Amino acid sequence: MTRRALITGIRGQDGSYLAELLLEKGYEVHGLVRRAADGPGPNLQAVWERLVLHEGNLLDERSLREALAAAQPAEVYNLAAVSHVPLSWERPVESAEVNALGPLRILDAIVAGGGEARLFQASSSEIFGGSGGAPQDESTPLRPSSPYGAAKAYAHQVTGAYRSRHDLFACSGILFNHESPRRPERFVSRRVSSGAAAIKLGLAADLAIGNLEARRDWGYAPDYVEAAWLMLQRQEPGDYVLGSGRAHSVAELVDAAFAAAGVEPGGRLRVDPAATRPGDNDYALADPAKAREILGWTARTGFAETIAEMVQADLERLRLAD
Amino acid sequence: MRRRRALITGITGQDGSYLAELLLEKGYEVHGLVRRLSTENHVRLHGILDRLVLHSGDLLDQRSLAAAMRKSRPDEIYNLAAMSFVATSWEQPNLTAEFTGLGVVNVLEAMREVCPGARFYQASSSEMFGKVRETPQREETPFYPRSPYGVAKVFAHHLTVNYRESYDLFACSGILFNHESPRRGLEFVTRKISHAAAAIKLGLASEVKLGNLDARRDWGYAPDYVEAMWMMLQQDAPDDFVIGTGEDHSVADVVAVAFDEIGLEPEPYVRQDPDLVRPAEVDTLIADASKAKRQLGWEPATRFERLIRLMVRADLERLPGDGVQRLPVAASAGAR
Repeated sequence: MTRRALITGIRGQDGSYLAELLLEKGYEVHGLVRRAADGPGPNLQAVWERLVLHEGNLLDERSLREALAAAQPAEVYNLAAVSHVPLSWERPVESAEVNALGPLRILDAIVAGGGEARLFQASSSEIFGGSGGAPQDESTPLRPSSPYGAAKAYAHQVTGAYRSRHDLFACSGILFNHESPRRPERFVSRRVSSGAAAIKLGLAADLAIGNLEARRDWGYAPDYVEAAWLMLQRQEPGDYVLGSGRAHSVAELVDAAFAAAGVEPGGRLRVDPAATRPGDNDYALADPAKAREILGWTARTGFAETIAEMVQADLERLRLAD
Repeated sequence: MRRRRALITGITGQDGSYLAELLLEKGYEVHGLVRRLSTENHVRLHGILDRLVLHSGDLLDQRSLAAAMRKSRPDEIYNLAAMSFVATSWEQPNLTAEFTGLGVVNVLEAMREVCPGARFYQASSSEMFGKVRETPQREETPFYPRSPYGVAKVFAHHLTVNYRESYDLFACSGILFNHESPRRGLEFVTRKISHAAAAIKLGLASEVKLGNLDARRDWGYAPDYVEAMWMMLQQDAPDDFVIGTGEDHSVADVVAVAFDEIGLEPEPYVRQDPDLVRPAEVDTLIADASKAKRQLGWEPATRFERLIRLMVRADLERLPGDGVQRLPVAASAGAR
């Protein structure tokens, strides 16, 4: 029998990679979208015709129950979110409604549908806040430093509470930064890759960066959606930290991007303190030992390789646009 | 010197009403936020109602909060409103998340807009510790909540800390362990027992059905706890504090003291009802309130046995002529 999966946030970076992965594995892939008429967007062009779409919204419980009833999925991946930390300071209520109560409504819809569907909840390293450099694992106390992080912490904890109360197969994947050419430009990795490509092509003179010292654990998004799938194939549900276990500074990110673009770094970088975010985490580093031991998963694609792919994609895109 | 002004959300509740009394006594002008209801629920404000300024508003409506703040121009804001019963949070998880979690975002945002210089108190809860990571629990103990209520309270706590750190607000979170009084709602086990014991003594009831008699909690006296709230907002710098007695007792202990107070043996009257046994989602909660003692000079004045006895005596006084209070005995004893 064909396995069915329902993905929320299917238009996004992770949703689109996951849809491709699951189609490849023979799944019937269903997506929750706010408006099907919006079309495939930039990420779903290649697979759009093969998806079964359901209109619905994380703010509307009934639409979730109906999508579940129609799709009858064995697996649900909740990837939809207002996913940018600074935005959560500008619109904290929206952030909480979507990122905290959205997952709660999905859990309730799964319970209402009989509780058989397995759930992957996209949790985030932002639930930990800054750690001062110590690796973060599944037992690290939650200390989020933004409305986004607090909402993701809510979703993380309520997923755990529902798992034990209703005996659900519900898992939180605590994803550290994961990048790709599909990352929106409001994220620093993509801003840097796109900026380096623009400088290379003579479309920009320099690149403005807030904090060069901030360190993050950056991986490659397609590797991470594979981990999400692996988590739902286990005998037992559980939470997993997903990261590379290596931290790099924003300065190293810039170096890697400039190198990939073939840009001489001298005079190309401008430090702009205004770009620093309130409640910014200065250091995030995963300890992915549990995922390695139990799922057999590692973040295969390295840092430089990921950045190079992003820069190449931006070079191609900008050349085409030119 | 002008009178200091305070705005209390949840003023019609147990803590809100005690806090209003305390602040009036201290010379404050006390404002309260109340929801419009078809039947007023001001029973706990009896005796002080004419000295309060009430504003109509709702935690889910940010504009109404901003309006109440504009009118009351508070020096201190106490956010005590919440959907506060753990079992109900499993039946109404969305409502709980909205009131108990998102409500605090609305209050903080309104405050940032209207009165960023005001001091803010957030009522946090020991339910945030859930399956406890250490015993007793202190301010640094990691949170591991096990109910939609506990998870929503953690969210509200995190937001309070985030707003303090990012916007430099004077915002404090008081992590209060169970605190009881004659004004406690009948759905809470201490009040259910004190009320039933009084009803049995007066011949108005013949039994009380209880869930898990071995469940243990750190129970204190609500008027002591609202004083701790006020003390937190008088500090030089905002901070978070655990408030509790540091002693734990079982539901069976509550029964023993309550029936001793009425001079009866509990056995013939107390029945354990398996339907009322909640899954043991939360471990024994015991407070380590040494930081509050050290920094605020706060200590609980009323201990467990005195607390239960005064609750039973209050129910004995209230019950005979009080038809309104009598009805819920049967209802709550059956439902929970």
